[in-house]
Amino acid sequence: MREVKYIFLILFATMAFLSLASVTMALEKCVICHGKHDLVRTEETGRQVSLFVPDSALANTVHADRECTDCHDDIVEIPHQKPAKVNCRRCHYTGNPLGAPGGEIGDQYEHSVHGIEVLAGNEKAPVCADCHGTHDIYSPSKKESTVYKQNSPRTCGKCHIDVYATYRESIHGTALADGILDSPDCVSCHGEHNISRHSDADSKVIGSAIVKTCSECHNSVGVASKYGIKSDRVSTVEHSFHGVATEIGNQTVANCASCHDYHDIRPSSDPKSAIHPDNIMATCGRTECHPEATLRFASGQIHIDPMSEESGILYYITKFFTILTVSTLVGLLLLILMDLYRRAKTARDKRKR
Amino acid sequence: MNEINSKHLDDRERLTRQLADTIINSTKELIDPATDPKAINRIRTEVKERLDFEANLAVNEIVTRFSAKKEKIEVPEDQKERTFLRFGKNFRAQHMLMLVSCLILIFTGIPLKFANFGISKFIIIDVCGGLENSTLIHRIAAVGLIIVGVWHLLYTFMTRVGWRDFILMIPTLTDIKDFIHTILYYIGRKPSGPKFGRFSFIEKFDYWAVYWGMVIMIGSGLILWFKEMVPKYGFDIAREAHSDEGLLATLAIVMWHFYNVHFNPEVFPMSWVWWHGKLTEDEMKHHHRLEYDEILKAEREKLNGKADQPDNKGDDS
Repeated sequence: MREVKYIFLILFATMAFLSLASVTMALEKCVICHGKHDLVRTEETGRQVSLFVPDSALANTVHADRECTDCHDDIVEIPHQKPAKVNCRRCHYTGNPLGAPGGEIGDQYEHSVHGIEVLAGNEKAPVCADCHGTHDIYSPSKKESTVYKQNSPRTCGKCHIDVYATYRESIHGTALADGILDSPDCVSCHGEHNISRHSDADSKVIGSAIVKTCSECHNSVGVASKYGIKSDRVSTVEHSFHGVATEIGNQTVANCASCHDYHDIRPSSDPKSAIHPDNIMATCGRTECHPEATLRFASGQIHIDPMSEESGILYYITKFFTILTVSTLVGLLLLILMDLYRRAKTARDKRKR
Repeated sequence: MNEINSKHLDDRERLTRQLADTIINSTKELIDPATDPKAINRIRTEVKERLDFEANLAVNEIVTRFSAKKEKIEVPEDQKERTFLRFGKNFRAQHMLMLVSCLILIFTGIPLKFANFGISKFIIIDVCGGLENSTLIHRIAAVGLIIVGVWHLLYTFMTRVGWRDFILMIPTLTDIKDFIHTILYYIGRKPSGPKFGRFSFIEKFDYWAVYWGMVIMIGSGLILWFKEMVPKYGFDIAREAHSDEGLLATLAIVMWHFYNVHFNPEVFPMSWVWWHGKLTEDEMKHHHRLEYDEILKAEREKLNGKADQPDNKGDDS
């Protein structure tokens, strides 16, 4: 019996050693070929793709503790064929034992416009690696990350190049490039993994949701005071007919983006801005809005608050009507109550007699 | 006609007899056999007669109730309660158009002032079928209101009654005195209210409040309608005025006007003057004593004048 025990012990030790060795040796083995700078694969088109992967490729990334075959799990022998696309969901699912984060994010992605397109077989639609990178996946808070706030517009721009070109020149794009991290990148408005088509009902940038999305920053006193933006931009719109119609659920009425544009948002001082005094008439007069717009109609303060003393006559007219309404109604109510009181009294006196 | 009546009478007699027999038969077992049969017969006859009487009464009641409206009982001219025409047909028609227009305007307008309320969305989206429809309906009703405004101006300046009433509508010092008098009466410092002429200070207030409201609402409404022609600032002012005055007018109608013509215990559930335009003699005496006195005085003078010069027929009418 003792011999049997020893045999098991030796067997177990050998297995443990082998498995440890295989881990450390896997990288070494991969680097034998992929550590060479001139390792290339020639595609059918004749294009040469570098297959050089330095042994430090995963250092400092979120996958620093991982091995090549953790992701490229279809490589079981050397030399090998072109590996299949990496399936991130092998680890990143809700409740995985490795503690890999983002299971819910993957679920969101599957219902997003990107995920739906991928599942439908659209080869151009992005998978995880298209945004997050392959070997170079850093934490989003690190400047090296492809999804770091200042880098993410360029990442999205890999596919959405026209939008990126427009955005880069907008006030949001220039501010972000200048290092103002409060300025929105693409995902601030469009959402990240749950991104939807702009016409979808649950989209953050559908007409009825635009005001809410913009107000995340523009209704915030903190952001407003920090950058000298007026914080009443959203409340004034909500009070206006445009805001009322949006509240009622009208989709054709103007929202923030109708006048300010969406990607090409520029300050009114910029001659290319839709709300520059030279362009405002054309902006209001868009065929689907107010084609009869005159310069008189379009000139003047758009975001106006009747309750603010700065609004001049408008403020006093509002005050006047408030006082008129309250005093009239209180007066009439008093007359009604006194009339009822008198009637009740007369009736009571009659009964007594 | 007679045949039908006689058939009905036969039917009734038969039914009465049947009913009486049923009653009598059901009591048979309860009667002491020792009772004198003559007495029983007498009671039976009495029951039959009583039933017949009740049936006649019921038929008469039904006939009078249902036929009374068909066959108008002509009250002799001198026994009729005297009425005074307060609002002529023209004026009542103005009121009706205004009533319809205002209700539609309020229905489609107020929800926009309280857009975040669920009921507002229900009215605009589900009842009207969207903002495009509700604003169109609002504008159609607005045309109605503008027509009332123009119509009333023409009525004021082109008709004799309209001009007379307009002159009587102008506030005078008496109205302030009446107002103070009314307040004193309300709080018990005066035994009775003031005597009013054709228009009391309350009615004058109502009239001029509507006048003010019409000017503000139509003026600002037209600016909002043709907003492309005015500067943005003018539009903002018009919008604020339209919105605020709209609410004021609505509340005044719902609270004050509805109290006066609906919820006031004297007229509840509704005063019908807007429909027939007439006041009874009592109402005249109570609410427009001075006008009533004037009318009677004028009539007396007319009678006297006629008595003096029987050939001169109504020159002053």
